[in-house]
Amino acid sequence: MIHESINKIWLLSKKNIFLYIRKGPVLIFGLMFPFFMTLSWVIGREISLNLVFIGIIAMTSFFTATAISPVVLPIETREKSLERILSFPISLNEILLGIILASTLYSLIITSILAIIFMLLFSIMFSSLSLIFLIFLGILFMSVLGSLLGLLISAYPTDMTSDVMILVNLIKFPLLFISGIFIPLNSLSPHLVFLSFISPITFLADLLKFCVDGSNYFMFQFDIIMLLIWIGLLFVVSYTLHKRTLPKRLAETGISKKKKMMIKKNMV
Amino acid sequence: MNIITHRQNLNKESVAIKVLNLSKRFEDLFAVYNASFEILQGEIVGILGPNGAGKTTTIRLLTGVFQLEDNAKIEIFGKDITKNPIKYKKHYGIVPEISNAYSDYSVWQNLKFSGSIYGITKEKIEKRSKKLLTQFDLINRMHSKTKTLSKGLKQRLNLCLALLHKPPILILDEPTSGLDPISMNLMRKQILKLKEEGKTILITTHDMREAQNICDRILIMNNGKIIADQSPKTLREQFKSTSTILIKIEGVLSIEQEKNLSKIVKFVKEKNGYHVITSEDALKDISNLYKASRENNITISEVKIKETSLEEVFIHLIKEDLLNLEEMGNQ
Repeated sequence: MIHESINKIWLLSKKNIFLYIRKGPVLIFGLMFPFFMTLSWVIGREISLNLVFIGIIAMTSFFTATAISPVVLPIETREKSLERILSFPISLNEILLGIILASTLYSLIITSILAIIFMLLFSIMFSSLSLIFLIFLGILFMSVLGSLLGLLISAYPTDMTSDVMILVNLIKFPLLFISGIFIPLNSLSPHLVFLSFISPITFLADLLKFCVDGSNYFMFQFDIIMLLIWIGLLFVVSYTLHKRTLPKRLAETGISKKKKMMIKKNMV
Repeated sequence: MNIITHRQNLNKESVAIKVLNLSKRFEDLFAVYNASFEILQGEIVGILGPNGAGKTTTIRLLTGVFQLEDNAKIEIFGKDITKNPIKYKKHYGIVPEISNAYSDYSVWQNLKFSGSIYGITKEKIEKRSKKLLTQFDLINRMHSKTKTLSKGLKQRLNLCLALLHKPPILILDEPTSGLDPISMNLMRKQILKLKEEGKTILITTHDMREAQNICDRILIMNNGKIIADQSPKTLREQFKSTSTILIKIEGVLSIEQEKNLSKIVKFVKEKNGYHVITSEDALKDISNLYKASRENNITISEVKIKETSLEEVFIHLIKEDLLNLEEMGNQ
């Protein structure tokens, strides 16, 4: 039973990666955006290599993770393939996990490659192997978390990817700005630090700081717990919202307002 | 297997689908309201209805795409699926009105994905796919991207996808809509062939001729309710009480002849030369007409009785239902 379920999730995620990796919004918001954001942040400023590494990893994992998951359901609604998926012997949980897995793998692979290249190219040093493990654990958590955030926003029952991407960006940028990547948490006032709790990127950036140069604000265990709490919270909210909005995606009754009134009266 | 004999052999124990109190509400609007029906094994049942009648929503409820409301119950081959609808989805093969195969996948990739989801082994998927693609004349397009196929070919692919996991029940949502006459004919032949193979088929259609020709039974839906559940023949029989008689008379009728004839039956002259009579007892009226024509020296050269078509029955029922609604609305 579990084996069957895992197999279905894997098949769905393979399909999602194959079909949506080359879609415009995924390329623009997943690859081009973090690239140009980093360039505009780094060029002309005296920022330490360690901080650039932390910024690049945090932004790339967050942007790539929120690239695939928001577009899958709107595209499948528009192309009617969502109805095919729903008619398969698959649960909503498996459908959502298929999207999360695809988005997580996409983010994890791209960010990990980037992290390895950066570490080798700029000789970023770590005092122990466990710190490198923590970096990749942080990337994995952020990949899952970003995927869930994208999935949550795609619960809005639209078939237009642009509608969802606008919403995603409306949420993504404020979360990025209060996360301590651009302004260190140490230099923020206590109430702004409290505000940074709203952003899950805060805890990834803090975890990366712990690993790279020990300039972390919270304890790394706290960062991990907070990332896990965010993951759990986002999954529960995403699932609940999707369960509620899924019928609306397919609702096409084709009945006029006048006819609706007549039917209502008839039913009373 | 003879279709009529096959139908005669069916009994209550061979119910494939049993639906009770099926309802679906979208906010304050019922798309389907309290629909109950049964479909026997090996039967082709057609759901007819105007746009927005609730046909597609019924199918979506039946196939587990939409969740069932609390008091609804669906049984598949005697087993209540309400508790575990996902498990029973493999009993269905669904052909949608608009192709929902992945357009960026090739024909083969679509079949492979679909088969894998149903847990079929790769070898079996390949074997069955090739057989189905050959049967539906799609084998040459096996590696073509789905988006490059014509509507007719896409619909054939959808049929292959629906049949790949060998489901006992086929659900077709307006499968011939928008197809050219050749593809339409091919699709109808395939549907009848599938019935001969023992599949239970539920089909929604706008095409009355199609429903009349291939369906064993017809459910007419309007405003989310089932307003008729009969065989096409019975439906027509019920409304046969008002048939249309067309007569052609040689020469031109004099005023006197016309007056005498109109005493027997009321008729309307049409431009094509026919006299049209709406009759409640066609045989009696024709007999009286011949009697009157002999007495008045009128030569009737042609008599036609127009059988009530399913389309006329459909329009009549929908109009009746709308009138009822309007009346209730006015109250």
